[in-house]
Amino acid sequence: MTSEQGPVGLAGLVRQKVERAGSRARNGLRMATGNARPAVGQTPKDVVWRHGRSELWRYRGDESLGPRPPLLLVFSLFSRSYILDLTPGNSFVERLLDAGFDVYLLDWGVPDERDAANRLEDYVDDYLPAAVERVREVSGGDRVNLVGYCFGSVLALLYAAHHRDAPLRSLTVMTTPIDLDHLGPFGNLTKHGGLNVDSLLDADGNVPPAVIYQGFKSLRPTAAVTQYVDLWQGLGNDQYVASYRALIGWATDHVPLPGGVARQLAEMVDDNAIVNDRLVIGGDRVHLSDITVPFLTVLADRDHIVPEASAAPLIDLVGSPDKHELRLDGGHVGLLVGRTAARTTIPTIIDFLLRRSEDPAAGRRTTPPPTSGTEL
Amino acid sequence: MTSTPTWRNAYDLAERAVAPHAESLVRSAEFAKVTAAVVGARRAVGRGLSGVSTMAWHLVNLPAQTDLQRLRGQIGALDRDVRRLSLQLEQSGRGRSEQQ
Repeated sequence: MTSEQGPVGLAGLVRQKVERAGSRARNGLRMATGNARPAVGQTPKDVVWRHGRSELWRYRGDESLGPRPPLLLVFSLFSRSYILDLTPGNSFVERLLDAGFDVYLLDWGVPDERDAANRLEDYVDDYLPAAVERVREVSGGDRVNLVGYCFGSVLALLYAAHHRDAPLRSLTVMTTPIDLDHLGPFGNLTKHGGLNVDSLLDADGNVPPAVIYQGFKSLRPTAAVTQYVDLWQGLGNDQYVASYRALIGWATDHVPLPGGVARQLAEMVDDNAIVNDRLVIGGDRVHLSDITVPFLTVLADRDHIVPEASAAPLIDLVGSPDKHELRLDGGHVGLLVGRTAARTTIPTIIDFLLRRSEDPAAGRRTTPPPTSGTEL
Repeated sequence: MTSTPTWRNAYDLAERAVAPHAESLVRSAEFAKVTAAVVGARRAVGRGLSGVSTMAWHLVNLPAQTDLQRLRGQIGALDRDVRRLSLQLEQSGRGRSEQQ
């Protein structure tokens, strides 16, 4: 038997090795030449509101389902929002649409010299309220589910706390920097290094993307080597290489941070203002304890950008009687993209949101709650 | 199911040994001080060079890059004020129509 299968098995092994070597060569060439970049942010959408560089996108869903609960995603000011809609089949937005939500995303665009003086108030008191109103107009829903990611979570929190009458059905935040003493190199530069934020600004008055990229890169010094080692190991797998390119492409694709916001953040870090309840927005003291809408915070144990210690205090600061914390074994981006996201984070968030969207005024529920994930 | 190659195991072992030290170094106050000092020094050199070129342009009665930057900043701030005002007007108009 062995003598019969031997040559066949050997031929198969050789064919497998040759195919793998071919894939490695092809993918290596693509990586080297920068060809065939994966298409990101592919879910069809329409711009329903625009102001300055900011745009409000409405993703096209199944209109035949009737009114759907409106959900507004708020992204960070440091990078590009397409991580929320990375690639078909690996998209947070796609999953939210499939769950029956009317999904909107507030994209801040690419700031230029006209945004250099922007402060947090611009986003929290002007853009966000206007976008929420527009979502209500377009969707016909009376209240909106607000979902923030990373620094977008801070903006969402500040908006909910400063606008106590905000028409929110629920607030979900992911990987939120709260205890700014635990932010690592970012906070240390101004707090311990005495760095003046103005020395980081470009000619347009904003913190350039290259500085932001270097800042993120310094958080995990060995990651730059490890990512190439990972790539070398997975180079024979087309699917892996496509995901790698999409993710690495996003991780190096930052936008300028308005100088006014950067100065304000440095003050917040010096004072550890969120934890110490010394937040001031538009001249008003803002307390996270004023947030009373149903609340979910998601944090990752292996998050190197917003460490668990930085995000953990949030649950105790928010005043909502209906509040939940979801801790996951994953990294910063792993909450949105990849296996942990698909199996746990996204189903749990969807379940939380669906359970709080059952009121007919918010649109009828269109799909049964997912069976996987954690019930909240 | 493919097993992890030996070279990868060796790399992971080395990375696990090095990474915590490297991370604690970049998260230390000393590292922040050195980085801030380097950024400050680069900024000071840049300012010096820009000061010389500004003087040269001003000698021939032409605006220097710093003048244009200042102007762009002022226009930017004005643009921001207009943007904020238009949004606030929009909001108050909506509030009035809701009351009616």
